[in-house]
Amino acid sequence: MSATADRVSMRERFQAGSSPPALLIIPALILVGGFFVIPYLYLLYMSFMTHTTGAAYIREFTLENYTETLRDPFNWRIIWQTLRFGIVTTLVTLILSYPLAYHMARAQSRVKGLLMILLLAPLLVGIVIRSYGWMILLADTGLVNQLAEAFGVGPFALMYNRTGVMIGLVHIYMPFMALSLLGSIQGIDPDIERAARSLGANGWQTFWRVTWPLSLPGVASGTVLVFVLTVSSYVIPSLLGGHRVITVPLLVVQTVQQIFNWPLGSALAIVFFVITIAIVGVYLKMMDRVMKGER
Amino acid sequence: MELTRWGQFALHAVATLLYLFLLAPIFIVVIAAFNSGEYLRFPPEGFSLRWFRSLLSSEPFIESFLFSLQLAVTVTILATVIGTAAALYIVRHAGRLRSPLQLLMISPLPVPAILTGIALLIFFYATDISRSSFTHLVIGHTLVCLPYVFLTVSTVLVGFDRSLEEAARSLGAGPLTTFFRITLPILKSGMVSGAVFAFIISFDQFPISLLLSGVGSTPLPVQLFDYLRFSFDPTAAAVSTVTIVMTVIVVLVTERLVGLESLYNRGKS
Repeated sequence: MSATADRVSMRERFQAGSSPPALLIIPALILVGGFFVIPYLYLLYMSFMTHTTGAAYIREFTLENYTETLRDPFNWRIIWQTLRFGIVTTLVTLILSYPLAYHMARAQSRVKGLLMILLLAPLLVGIVIRSYGWMILLADTGLVNQLAEAFGVGPFALMYNRTGVMIGLVHIYMPFMALSLLGSIQGIDPDIERAARSLGANGWQTFWRVTWPLSLPGVASGTVLVFVLTVSSYVIPSLLGGHRVITVPLLVVQTVQQIFNWPLGSALAIVFFVITIAIVGVYLKMMDRVMKGER
Repeated sequence: MELTRWGQFALHAVATLLYLFLLAPIFIVVIAAFNSGEYLRFPPEGFSLRWFRSLLSSEPFIESFLFSLQLAVTVTILATVIGTAAALYIVRHAGRLRSPLQLLMISPLPVPAILTGIALLIFFYATDISRSSFTHLVIGHTLVCLPYVFLTVSTVLVGFDRSLEEAARSLGAGPLTTFFRITLPILKSGMVSGAVFAFIISFDQFPISLLLSGVGSTPLPVQLFDYLRFSFDPTAAAVSTVTIVMTVIVVLVTERLVGLESLYNRGKS
């Protein structure tokens, strides 16, 4: 640090009227550095260690965990299934959240506060509790099937399969998508839409040529957020999927906690993390190009 | 879109259905808790408190509820103090280090919590830093709650008028007096919102708890999860309802203290 910077920070310290400022950041640095950055580095290190049956790992460098992870066709099936859950959930939440966000963005400010509470309320209730609600609704003798029976149809297998997992995932992550879209849609001046209409565009054209392109930044952030959250979700696939639906997070936890193979679990987690980041990176680049093209 | 009257109606109808979809499972859990039957039938069989009585005699649920409460309170205090201190330093004194430090403080937020849990599990076991599950859980939870407090307090600090402190100092107030009489009251709304986020997030946290919980130290969501894998009798609905009511109370009290608006306005930025 230069002398002037030193003097500035001295003055600031004096003005803030607190103890030496550097002390303020130390607890946070110990916490995030010592218990976040280092454990992640350690996870990376662990993925290159050797697994033995006697201990969780021994300190011998190997690439075996990665070759084993990449070579096993079972892993690739699970990875693909997890990514597919991510893609489908993202698309469905986008389609469902758009009208929701649009409705809220154009509501009167008094109503808007209430709608915001309705949208945020589910986020305040734990994910296990909400999954439980879906279990009561979707079970073979659950409310939905009772209703179906009253109409003379069903019963439908809605739980302990992919359908149940999809319903749960869409429900859990919809508020995140809606909140991302809301910011963008709120920024669109209704006068622009009105102008398009008065120039002869119909509702459909106005949406695709005006509203949708202007909301793309919200679409980009919402889809990335929901995709990343979905592929790393644990509770929904395990409760609503029974033991019949396996995703990467389930497989990693099983490998680490039950099979006790830390190196292999670490390698699988890292491989999947890299794949997810690569997909998000490519996607964001594409979205960026689309958004530039629209302008 | 300039919507036609029909279009307006359709939009309202779709939005109503979607809000129902979002809230349905929560209402269903509460209804199941007060339903007298083993299974929820339609129409409900009758009002009863038997599942709450059954909850009171369920040792695992009571124990894990109290454990979660203790954990959430500890985490809230730690995250609020550490996060506020970090925000004070980073917003005011960090200089060129400001952006990288901000990034570091927020970094636990975008990575999957389940991965953080695995990394911490392996790290704690391998290094043998502490054998207490409670300590492991406190560290893991504080880590994921810290970004929220940091963000809410930072937002208040950025809009903070420094001349208020200078005025207090020039009128003869000491540094400590200035801090407690001027700085802290202004930071209050950010700290309270952050603390509420921390409490709710810690109480509901699942992935990290799943990996770091030990014998005799099982947070409620993990207990509930284990229970639901084998049965879903309404005792689980009763404990869920108690949790939901507690959350509502926390949010209402916050509303009284700082206004709900600040809760979501600060949280967003």
